[in-house]
Amino acid sequence: MTDTDSPAPDGSACYVYGVVPAEAHAPRGVEGVGDPPSPVALVRHRQVAAVVSEIDLGRPLGTPGDLLAHSRVLDSLAAHRTAVLPFRFGALVRDRESVTAELLAPQQERFLAGLGDLAGHAQFSVRGSYRQDRVLRAIVDERPDIARLRDQVAALPEDAARLQRIQLGELVSQELTTLGAQDAELLMRTLAPLAARASSADATADRPVNASFLVPHSGWQEFERAAEELAADWDGWLELRLLGPLAPYDFASQVVDVQEGGPPWD
Amino acid sequence: MTVAPRPSHYLDRPSSSGLVDVIDLILDKGLVIDIYVRVSLVGIELLTIDARIVVASVDTYLRFAEAVNRLDLRDDKSEGLPELMDDMQEGGARHKTRGALEGAKDTVSGVVDRVRGHGDDDSDDDEEEEEQPQERPKRRRSAAARKERAE
Repeated sequence: MTDTDSPAPDGSACYVYGVVPAEAHAPRGVEGVGDPPSPVALVRHRQVAAVVSEIDLGRPLGTPGDLLAHSRVLDSLAAHRTAVLPFRFGALVRDRESVTAELLAPQQERFLAGLGDLAGHAQFSVRGSYRQDRVLRAIVDERPDIARLRDQVAALPEDAARLQRIQLGELVSQELTTLGAQDAELLMRTLAPLAARASSADATADRPVNASFLVPHSGWQEFERAAEELAADWDGWLELRLLGPLAPYDFASQVVDVQEGGPPWD
Repeated sequence: MTVAPRPSHYLDRPSSSGLVDVIDLILDKGLVIDIYVRVSLVGIELLTIDARIVVASVDTYLRFAEAVNRLDLRDDKSEGLPELMDDMQEGGARHKTRGALEGAKDTVSGVVDRVRGHGDDDSDDDEEEEEQPQERPKRRRSAAARKERAE
């Protein structure tokens, strides 16, 4: 819960959102982390710059407002087509001098290479959720074993049917996961060819579709159109939600790790 | 084929991300600076750690069992997941094992509440809380009852 490291939590520190090319502009009109928020600024070192704001250490970090501010700053950079390497939420460095001397100077080359890979792209994320009643109805229709168990459970008082309820829920959950994996595969087949990189989380019963795509600026409209067509095909069955343009949260570490000769992105 | 250009009619296209989406997007994502280099990192209490607990559990199964149970097979009006999520959120932060992202919103605010010394109002619940989580949210129960009467 507590990230203990150095000094007493009073005074201020430098909250680091991410790294951008030195020629980038600080996001304007976007409020940063903290209450009240300080202006978001760039700390430049040669060809790279850290996106930072001052933060008061007098209160814990991680309120809903802080999380929203973190993504708002990074996403506004992405929306303005600035390449950005997002840092994980909660990166705090003592002061601007340390940002330059200890973060940017030693990592310049690595950051620059990562930014080069991401230049001209932004992340889009697609979330899907089933129209629950419609899908559950289809499952009951197609699985006689589930339909039977459902009838049994319905006939028994709630307390008596506990084990059957758990079994029923498990079967339904497994079936939702299977359906989700099929739908997620179709989504990846449709959208991944429009992206430079793509990644998809395994389907779960609650979240059949959860995928992210690194899309070139020139392809944003086409990508959105393809997502819209999928959503139209799935109307009433699976609701799609498209988020973006976003900072490349799902791809930044891969890009930087690859520079290091780490495991390639898969 | 439709000729007229169609705006995003089927696709949910929010102009800015809501909290649940943001938690999903950013937690555990992005570069971690202290693994690359020793920096003068400042320690501060982070509130968000609990938000990513995702545990499949009996509780989850019971939730799906309830959903499939209250399904009225003759009713062709479809309830969207958002409504189900509202229902579940009434269960509040006490279902720690509920897992799933829609719980994270509760968890974050729940953590904040706890840190501030509020939110410790669970003690008036019945003893069998862990045993019968499906009975908790009152609106869910009455919604199910309404459906039964309608049948």
